[in-house]
Amino acid sequence: MIALVDCNSFYASCEQVFRPDLWGKPVVVLSNNDGCIIAANREAKALTDIAMFEPVFKIKKQLIAHNVTLFSSNYTLYGELSQRVMNTLYLFSPRVEVYSIDESFVDLHGFGHKNLKHYGNFIKETIFRNTGIPTGVGIAPTKVLAKLANKIAKKGPEHDHVFVIDSDAKRIEILKTTEIKSIWGIGRQQTKKLKEVGIHTAYQFTEMPLAWVRKEMTVVGERLWRELRGEPCMDMIEIPKPKKGIGTAKSFGRKLERLDLIEEACAYYISEVAEVLRAQKSCAMYLQVFLNTSSFSVNDKQYRNKQTVTLAIPTNNTFTLVTEARKILKAIYKPGYRYKKVGVNLTGIIPEAYVQGNLFESPKTEKHKELMQLFDTLNYKYGKGKVFSGLTGTRMKEWELVKADRSPRFTTQWSEILEVK
Amino acid sequence: MKLSKVGKLSRKQHRHTAGVSVQTGFPSPATHYLEPTIDLHQELITNADATFFVRVSSNEYAHLKIYNEAVLIIDRSTPALKGKLALVIIDGEFSIIKVPVSQGGSEAHKTFTLWGVINYVINKAI
Repeated sequence: MIALVDCNSFYASCEQVFRPDLWGKPVVVLSNNDGCIIAANREAKALTDIAMFEPVFKIKKQLIAHNVTLFSSNYTLYGELSQRVMNTLYLFSPRVEVYSIDESFVDLHGFGHKNLKHYGNFIKETIFRNTGIPTGVGIAPTKVLAKLANKIAKKGPEHDHVFVIDSDAKRIEILKTTEIKSIWGIGRQQTKKLKEVGIHTAYQFTEMPLAWVRKEMTVVGERLWRELRGEPCMDMIEIPKPKKGIGTAKSFGRKLERLDLIEEACAYYISEVAEVLRAQKSCAMYLQVFLNTSSFSVNDKQYRNKQTVTLAIPTNNTFTLVTEARKILKAIYKPGYRYKKVGVNLTGIIPEAYVQGNLFESPKTEKHKELMQLFDTLNYKYGKGKVFSGLTGTRMKEWELVKADRSPRFTTQWSEILEVK
Repeated sequence: MKLSKVGKLSRKQHRHTAGVSVQTGFPSPATHYLEPTIDLHQELITNADATFFVRVSSNEYAHLKIYNEAVLIIDRSTPALKGKLALVIIDGEFSIIKVPVSQGGSEAHKTFTLWGVINYVINKAI
């Protein structure tokens, strides 16, 4: 059996751990640039008359009127608490697949003799007790079914956030009442296609002949079909694959016209993504930079452009990448516009060890590597962005969007730990 | 060093050689006995994933021998046995109490929700 443990409205829950005054009250978390809502807890979701997907500036008044507490995102905190939750899962099984920041598969093979409902409950309660984060647990013979069990656990209050699919009769009963579109891995296109041939429930899908599934939906569909029938064919992935592309783009605090400030913001984003590259010991082959004006603005002239370059040698070196990014920016920047956003994307990601040198590679590469290591060590020890490329500049305040309502980093900074009076 | 043509000693310019250690001297007899330096975490923390640090910024809890600027080490996985110090929530606010006989009991406390048991109090020495 496999359990899917999923944190309930994770970002909002993280904020609430340290804010008991907000327990039971609506809480939302805003995106990196405070532009839109990326997480809402149950109480906030219940306010159905607020269009939560709208940009925040359009609905802020309504939110405040409904006593919703808004937080800027605090990924340092969420990441750290996520780590605690995932570590705690290892108390229950030696095999854990961290699927996302708030979801993990836990391999329960060999736990057959236990009462799995109780065990699921025990997992849920231990995580809450140790970390303060509420979770839901779905247990089933396969990953796809565990995902479905988890959904059911959340829906019915009678399940108390734990649901087990432990018999074929139960599985079939559930599949009969499950719409095909809510199956993990079935997209909008496929839903449409399936509905055209009269398949509306997950059960109908599992009753189709395998040959048909294979023909219409390839091996991916076959895997889903088998998993839904209770036959495990998705392995636990305990070591995450390196990302295929890494990018970041954030709106500026105010619209910028001057190239030099945009360059500094761009250099800062580059240093962020380069750090991620180095952390996963990989290099990028391509670099893309894009520059936009605000599409929400009615008065401003609109302009957007982007350009991608192939790097001479795949790299994760901040300085090399910053230099390349500046060249692109110079090429796509046009004066006379009020820019809202600059972004960078690194793609063609390969392991550091596979990078081939070329004839023109400078012998400085090794030195640079050491420098980058030192960079990362210092920034890890003394806090993000303490050491930076000179091209990043120091005028961050002039372009950065202030995360006005970021909570303290309760678990990573002595100066920001919880205070009790 | 080498003699220059005019017979003067010309010193080789001092070069920065970070990263290259030039060992002279006798090798340290401690080489095989090195151990990591004492780490407070080992002594004070048993379950890191359930441990949180909290700072007290008043003398409100002096009766519990917790003084201004004390750092509390809270382990949420520690059972809240009677008499243990704990960070709790009363009326939506954090407070520190000694756990009474029965949880949520009346003994001079209103109902409380446990946040975590305090395993250590680090007070500033005067």
